[in-house]
Amino acid sequence: MTGNEKVASCPVCEAPVLAGDIYCEACGHPMGAPTCASCGAGAVDAEGYCERCGLRQPTGRDHAETVLDNGAAAVTDRGLRRSRNEDAMALMASGDTIVAVVCDGVGSSPRADEASAVAVETAATALARGASQQEAFDLAGRAVAKLATSVYDAPACTYVAAVVEPDRITLGWAGDTRAYSLPDGGLLTEDDAIETGEITAWLGADAEGVTLHVRTFTPHAPGLLLVCSDGLWRYLDGYAFPSAGTPLEMAREMLRHALDSGGQDNVTIALIPLGEARE
Amino acid sequence: MSDQPAFTLNIDQNKYLPLDGREVHAILTVGSTGGVTTQVVSSEAAEVIIVDTSGSMSGGKIREARQAAATAVRTLRDGVLFAVIAGTEKAGMVYPGGSPRLVKATAATKAEAERAIGRLLAHGGTAIGEWLNLAGHMLAAHPSAIKHALLMTDGQNNESDDVFSSVLAGWSGRFVVDSLGVGDDWVPAELRKVADAMLGTFDFVRNQTDLSEYFRRLTQTSMSKTVAELSLRVWVPQTARLKFVKQVSPTLLDLTGKRADVNPLTGDYPTGSWGAEEREYHVCVEVPPGQIGQEIRAGWVKLVRPDTGDVVASGNVLAQWTDDLAQSTRINGKVAHYTGQAELHELIQDGLSARAVGDVDTATARLARARELAAETGREDTARLLEKVVEVDPATGTARLRRNVDKADEIELDTGSVRTSRLRKEGF
Ligand SMILES: [Zn+2]
Ligand SMILES: [Zn+2]
Repeated sequence: MTGNEKVASCPVCEAPVLAGDIYCEACGHPMGAPTCASCGAGAVDAEGYCERCGLRQPTGRDHAETVLDNGAAAVTDRGLRRSRNEDAMALMASGDTIVAVVCDGVGSSPRADEASAVAVETAATALARGASQQEAFDLAGRAVAKLATSVYDAPACTYVAAVVEPDRITLGWAGDTRAYSLPDGGLLTEDDAIETGEITAWLGADAEGVTLHVRTFTPHAPGLLLVCSDGLWRYLDGYAFPSAGTPLEMAREMLRHALDSGGQDNVTIALIPLGEARE
Repeated sequence: MSDQPAFTLNIDQNKYLPLDGREVHAILTVGSTGGVTTQVVSSEAAEVIIVDTSGSMSGGKIREARQAAATAVRTLRDGVLFAVIAGTEKAGMVYPGGSPRLVKATAATKAEAERAIGRLLAHGGTAIGEWLNLAGHMLAAHPSAIKHALLMTDGQNNESDDVFSSVLAGWSGRFVVDSLGVGDDWVPAELRKVADAMLGTFDFVRNQTDLSEYFRRLTQTSMSKTVAELSLRVWVPQTARLKFVKQVSPTLLDLTGKRADVNPLTGDYPTGSWGAEEREYHVCVEVPPGQIGQEIRAGWVKLVRPDTGDVVASGNVLAQWTDDLAQSTRINGKVAHYTGQAELHELIQDGLSARAVGDVDTATARLARARELAAETGREDTARLLEKVVEVDPATGTARLRRNVDKADEIELDTGSVRTSRLRKEGF
C-alpha cells in the first residue's frame, strides 16, 4: 500500500474502498453512479433503482414546466399518490398558432406513461404543421396502438388537443381530459365517461369505435384557455381560479391547489392566452 | 433462438402496502423449457442408487427392493455414471465391486449391476448417514456432473442425531437426494431431514409392490435434468430484511437457512438441478416504513448458474405505499394460496408431533383446524386422511383424537403434507 491512497466507503454496503477503485470489492458496486434522491448513496442503477435503499428514482417527468414567448404555459406533476407521472403534455407555437396537447395514461393499462408520451408528441407535431384535428388524432391513435404486444397488453391514454389561432379555436378530444375557458370557468368539452366515472373512450390497441369530438369556436372575450387532466379538474368544485399573474404563475397556483386537495392523481395544466390577452 | 434451456421468472404480488405496511410477499414462478444445450451435453449425469438391506428388509421387502433397484438401473440412460450401494450399519458397494467409484452405464455394465443386485440379502442395522457419505464421496469425484442419489429405506435410523445431522450439513447442496420410505416402520422426520438438506423429495411407498414404479419414475426424472445447479440470488435494500425464501411448489422446502452470502445485501439460495419443469418460490421481505406514493425495489431476484455467474432470468419485487385501502388490501391469489398451504403443513406437523408426545389438547386443536382448512382449500385427500386421525362431532363441533389410527395412514398424512396443490387460473 502506498501512502497516498485514501480510503472511502462504498455507497451501497459501506465497505472501505480505495480512492482509485472502480468497483467495491465487497459488493461489486461500480463507483461514481448517480446519487439517490432518498438516501443519498451514489448507487442508482441503470433501471433507476437505488442499489442501497431500493427507491425508484424520480424522473424529469415528475415535474416539468414549459413557457412560450407569448406567455402560454404548461405544468405537469406526478402528484402525491402515484409512483410516476403518466400524464404527458406538449405546448408549442407555429407562427401565430399555439398548439397544446394533454394526454392522461389510463391507469389500468400497462406502460401508460409511454402511451401518453407518444400520443402528445405525434399529435402536437402533426397539428403544428397544419394537420386537421382528425388527422392528428388518427396518427396519435396509430402510434399508441403500435406500443401494444396484444389487446391484452395495450398501453392506453385519454386525449385533448387545442389549436389556438388569433380568431379561431379548435378542440379535439376523446376520454375525460378537458378544456375550460377562463376567467368564467366554462367547460368546453364533454367527457366520454359513464356515471361511475369510468371512461368510455381512449387511444390504444384495445379501443373500439372511438370517435374524436371536435369543437370549433371564436373567442369573444379576452381570457385564457385551460387544458387539463382530471388530476386538476377533480378538485375544481367551488374553486376560484386565480385572477392575477402570468399564465405560468397561475398554472403553478392551480397545481398547488390540486396538491393541497390531496394530489391523488398526476396533474397537468396548460394555459393559453386568448383574444386581447395575446401579446 | 438457440437450444439453450430457456428460463422464465414471473413474479406475482400486490405491491401496494398500507402506510404502516412492512411485509412484502411475492410468489416467483420459475419455468424451464429444459432444452438441451451444447454446454449441458458435456455435463454428465451421475446417479447413486442406495438400497436399504438391513435385517428388517428380509422376506418380501428385499425381493421388492432388488426388483426396484434393477428397474432403476434399467432406466439409466447409456453414458450416465452410476453405482449401487447396499445400506446396513455400514455402506457397501454392490456395483461396481471393489473400491468406491462410478462407472458408465452401458448394456454390459447395467446387466452386471442387475446380477449383483439379484444377490442382495437382508441383514444388519441402519445408518443412513453412512450411506450418504459413501454416495457423496463417489459423486464428488465428478464436480461438473448433475449429481443425484436415490435412497430407499424401511426402518429407523440407528445413528445418533448429532452424527446424522452433521453428515447432512456436510453434504447439503452438493448433490440431490430423493428418498422413499417403505412399510410402516420408518420415520418421516428422518427422511424429511434428508429432503430438506439435500433439496430432494421424500415419499411413502404404501404398497411395496409399487416400489419399482417409484424407482423408475424418480430415476427418469433425475435423468431429465439438463442444468446441474441454479441458485436464486436475492438482493434486498440495506434497510430491509429478507424474512424467508421457500420453495412452495411442487413441494414445500424452506431455503431460508441455506443462504450463502454473495455480498452484504445479496444472498444465494440453492435450488438444485433443473429439467423441463416449473417451480414456485415464496419470498417475504420486511421493509422500513415508507411515504405515500413512494415506490421501492424491495427485492431483486436473479436465477444464476453458480459455476459461471450467468443470470438466466430475473425480476423485481416491488413495494409502493398507498392510503387507498382498496389497493393495499387486495390479496394476490397465489400468495394467499401458498400461505394457506404452508399453514396446513404446519398444523399437520405440529399436530402429529404433539400427538406423539401425548399433548392431546394441542394435537386435537391443530389437527381439527387442519382438517377444516384442508376441506376449505379443496385438499380432499388430506382432509380424508385427517378424518382418520381426528373426528369432529357434527352436532357439538367438539373434536377428539381417534384411538386406533392405522400407522400407514399417519405416515401418509405426515409425508403428504409437504406436497402442495397448484392454483388453477380460475382460482384468482
Ligand atoms: Zn460495496
Ligand atoms: Zn437510496
